[in-house]
Amino acid sequence: MGDERGQALIETLLVGLVLIVPLVWVLGALADLHSGALAATAAAREAGFEAARSGSLTTAQASADAAADQAFADQGLSPERAEVRLSASRLERGGVVEVEVAYPVAVMRIPLLEAASQPVVWINARHVARVDPYRSRP
Amino acid sequence: MNGAERGSAVLETVASISMVLLLALGAIEVAFALYARNVLAASAHEGARAAIELGRSPEDAVAVAGATVRRAAGGLVSDLDISVATGAVNGRSVVRVHVTGSLKPFGPVPLPMRFSNTATSTRQTGL
Repeated sequence: MGDERGQALIETLLVGLVLIVPLVWVLGALADLHSGALAATAAAREAGFEAARSGSLTTAQASADAAADQAFADQGLSPERAEVRLSASRLERGGVVEVEVAYPVAVMRIPLLEAASQPVVWINARHVARVDPYRSRP
Repeated sequence: MNGAERGSAVLETVASISMVLLLALGAIEVAFALYARNVLAASAHEGARAAIELGRSPEDAVAVAGATVRRAAGGLVSDLDISVATGAVNGRSVVRVHVTGSLKPFGPVPLPMRFSNTATSTRQTGL
């Protein structure tokens, strides 16, 4: 018994570290993924609304990009990493505009070395907006 | 089991159960915190969408955002603060709704957690 004195304390510390460190990491990754999901959903929705209100496909893409950038900035995320894809054959009355937003979230961040933070989880969001059937433009 | 170890099993069981309970309650608290954050984000968006419609005012945004939080998380979020700002971004007239609220303290770490969220939408213009 004498040579085992103090072992329990060390074991508790080691097991505690082994349990707590991954738990804290999972919580941090979960919070990042949640932020990314909120931002991607908001970006897809706002981009869809903006694109559906645009006069042409060219301005629709620019409006969708600007709206998505704003949505990511609102959540404190970098909009440069987001991919916004717009699909609409024509912006005619009653038509449909589909916006897909993809955003990479690094789940294993390395402090002071953001570029090397791998792996990433891609968050995807999709929104379908309808062009106002009573709009004055075609 | 010798005399020196008598009662240690009970102590270890109590310590283990306490730890498991603490982790379980902490996980529940994290889930509630994420839910509150979700609700605040949704309310900011609902408020912004309400304020951009023709004929609607910033007061409508505050009312809609507040109603969204009360409906979705009435007893969970307190100290709700909703502010609406209008401005221009790249030539577009925008409405920005900022919602802040606190998760009511409970669980193993009863600290008030404060969350906020901002939503920006472009105002509709007459066609």
